Amino acid sequence: MRTPCWVPALYLGPAVIVMVAACLYPVLSAFQLAGYDWAMGTPWSTARWVGWDNFVSALSNSRVWSSLGTTLLFAALCVSAEMVLGIALALALEHPVRGMAFFRTLFILPMMIAPIAVGLAWRYLFDAQFGLVNALLEVAGLSAQTWLADPTLAFAAIVVADIWQWTPFVFIIMIAALAGVDGSVIDAARIDGACWWQQVLLVKLPMVMHVIAITLMMRLIDAFRVLEVIYVLTFGGPGDSTEILALHIYKTAFVGQQLGVAAAVSVLLLVVVVLLSWGALRLSNPMKGEPR
Amino acid sequence: MDRRVFVKGTTITVFGAGLPFSGVQARSRYAKYAGKTVVFSIPAHPHYDAMLKILPEFTKETGIKVETDKLAMSRMKDKQLLEMAKPSGDFDLGCYVVMWKGEYVSKNLIRPLEPFFADPALADPAYDMKDIVPIYLENLGLVGGPKGYLAGPGAKLYGIPYGAETSVLAYRRDIFAKHNLKPPETYDDFRRLLRVLKDKEGIGALASRGQAGHQVVHAWLLHLNLLGGSVFDDKWRARFNDKAGVEALKFLQEVVATGPAGIPGYGQGESNTAFLQGQAAMYLDSTSIAGLVNDPSKSKVVGNVSWALHPKGVRRASQSGGLGLAIPTNAKNAEAAFLLLQWLTSKAQDKAVTMVGGAPMRNSTLRDDEAVRKHPEFVAFIEALKHSNPDWRPIIPAWDKINVQALGVGLSEALTGKKSAEQALDDLVPQVNAIMREAGYRV
Repeated sequence: MRTPCWVPALYLGPAVIVMVAACLYPVLSAFQLAGYDWAMGTPWSTARWVGWDNFVSALSNSRVWSSLGTTLLFAALCVSAEMVLGIALALALEHPVRGMAFFRTLFILPMMIAPIAVGLAWRYLFDAQFGLVNALLEVAGLSAQTWLADPTLAFAAIVVADIWQWTPFVFIIMIAALAGVDGSVIDAARIDGACWWQQVLLVKLPMVMHVIAITLMMRLIDAFRVLEVIYVLTFGGPGDSTEILALHIYKTAFVGQQLGVAAAVSVLLLVVVVLLSWGALRLSNPMKGEPR
Repeated sequence: MDRRVFVKGTTITVFGAGLPFSGVQARSRYAKYAGKTVVFSIPAHPHYDAMLKILPEFTKETGIKVETDKLAMSRMKDKQLLEMAKPSGDFDLGCYVVMWKGEYVSKNLIRPLEPFFADPALADPAYDMKDIVPIYLENLGLVGGPKGYLAGPGAKLYGIPYGAETSVLAYRRDIFAKHNLKPPETYDDFRRLLRVLKDKEGIGALASRGQAGHQVVHAWLLHLNLLGGSVFDDKWRARFNDKAGVEALKFLQEVVATGPAGIPGYGQGESNTAFLQGQAAMYLDSTSIAGLVNDPSKSKVVGNVSWALHPKGVRRASQSGGLGLAIPTNAKNAEAAFLLLQWLTSKAQDKAVTMVGGAPMRNSTLRDDEAVRKHPEFVAFIEALKHSNPDWRPIIPAWDKINVQALGVGLSEALTGKKSAEQALDDLVPQVNAIMREAGYRV
């Protein structure tokens, strides 16, 4: 029997309404706001239409471009490390081993901690005087570092904090994906003489490539949005060495009170994230070629 | 007319006028609002932690309930702006940082307090406005006068200081005695002592803030005023890159070089901790540390700290700043909020909060025998307040942006060695001028 045309609309309708309300509306609002000069705490009726001025102001600001560069480097380092470590951990723990439930729980704990708490915890860990990181360095015979007072080390600190927090996300997704790999395919590869590396690189990972692509995309999006941990850990400093674009937007909106310019920079961030997500989906798009 | 005389005079005249007509007893003043709830926006701050200890007494005495909304200081403004911009807000009373007062008034987000103090049904006849430390009242409460934030013609009262502070020098008397050193009288002594203490004692000489943003600007301002500098000249042209500005920044660079490791990453908490945990021999910053120095659960230097005036540069000065209380324009229970504000800042409660770790804002508390026995440092504080400069920083609405987004980045770059002091300050001038032009100043 042919499904009436209204049935898909009925099933999809509620989800579409929620998506439009929760996702599309804020994005459209950001586009609208980007055309106005408006400060928080003043009535919207006092907002002044400025056309493209906010985009011109944003794009001609060297701090925006340096922030974008910092963000791209931050995202590249964090996401690469998280993907490699997350997949490696998932491969290490995919087979039943003693205490596996404990390790799985332990590994996903960082993801469950509030970002502000993560920022504070790492701030204390990296403290030049009393931090655990320096204490461990000294135990190992190395000299203590002023982690949050040096531009390069501070950048390393925010990368480490992000990797610590979000590697578990990749781990948990990948362990679920690997569990879904058909065991008979692996058996066939083994019978054909494939070693462990070959099984992993030529069979398992290609079979879960669509999950890897989606995970990569989600992590990329998140890496561009991260704010709280860096806000607490360095507030963008020293100088502007750790001022990623999300923090720049926050400062422009809430400190500088230029919500229009902040919205224009947000649109720029959206464009960058869309382009990168499109690139990630080109790796393997799970929706491509699906039978209707 | 002397500014302090003006503050005293206007406050006594404006508010004192209503007092003789106010015969309303406290009980009837509160009765109308008993059962109402005042929602109070407060920061995570030692003074407000102390306030929470005395707050139940207010409800017991008046029947007015208080609900506090506590946030980290840095996030409090975002939430307040969102709440106060609504037609009807959730906050009835709010704590603000001194730098926000101009912006809040320019956006009509907080109410002038004269009408409340002039209302005999609300005002406490015993409320002694002239007892509030005049510099605190001017710095935190007045808006609309000369420069927009000083006492003088046009100034109106929008807030009452609560958690106000000035700057003093705390030093380790055990270390100073061990090396036969004296606390620095002048900036020349101060500069020399930094190196001497570092070399002789092996710990940091002076604890300081240094994190990018407000923190590093606060640290630089602590030296700029004393060395004869200021951010703007009288025509709002940037002058912070002059000789005094460079000297102040070079002094701060020396503080970093001789201080506890990691100052360019220090906020106020880290700076306090460095001194309290014995990693620095001196501390030059807010008086708010006084409540922590002799608390054995937070301090390893109990009994070893003495206090002195901010060393003298080309002039004597000390900081003016801290926190105040204001009533949002869109408060639902503005009258009940005023009663709470009035109660908290009364003589009796100022002493009460001081005795449980808060910061006094009244002369009567600073001179109270019992309070001075518990806090002998108040003697030094009274002296410091005589030199407190109400024009310590330009508290115009654009200051927050200049503070965090321009100076806060450039000064931080000078502390990490990315730029020299001269280059960092010169590079900041066009940025600051651009912000001033955006804000409508002709520079």
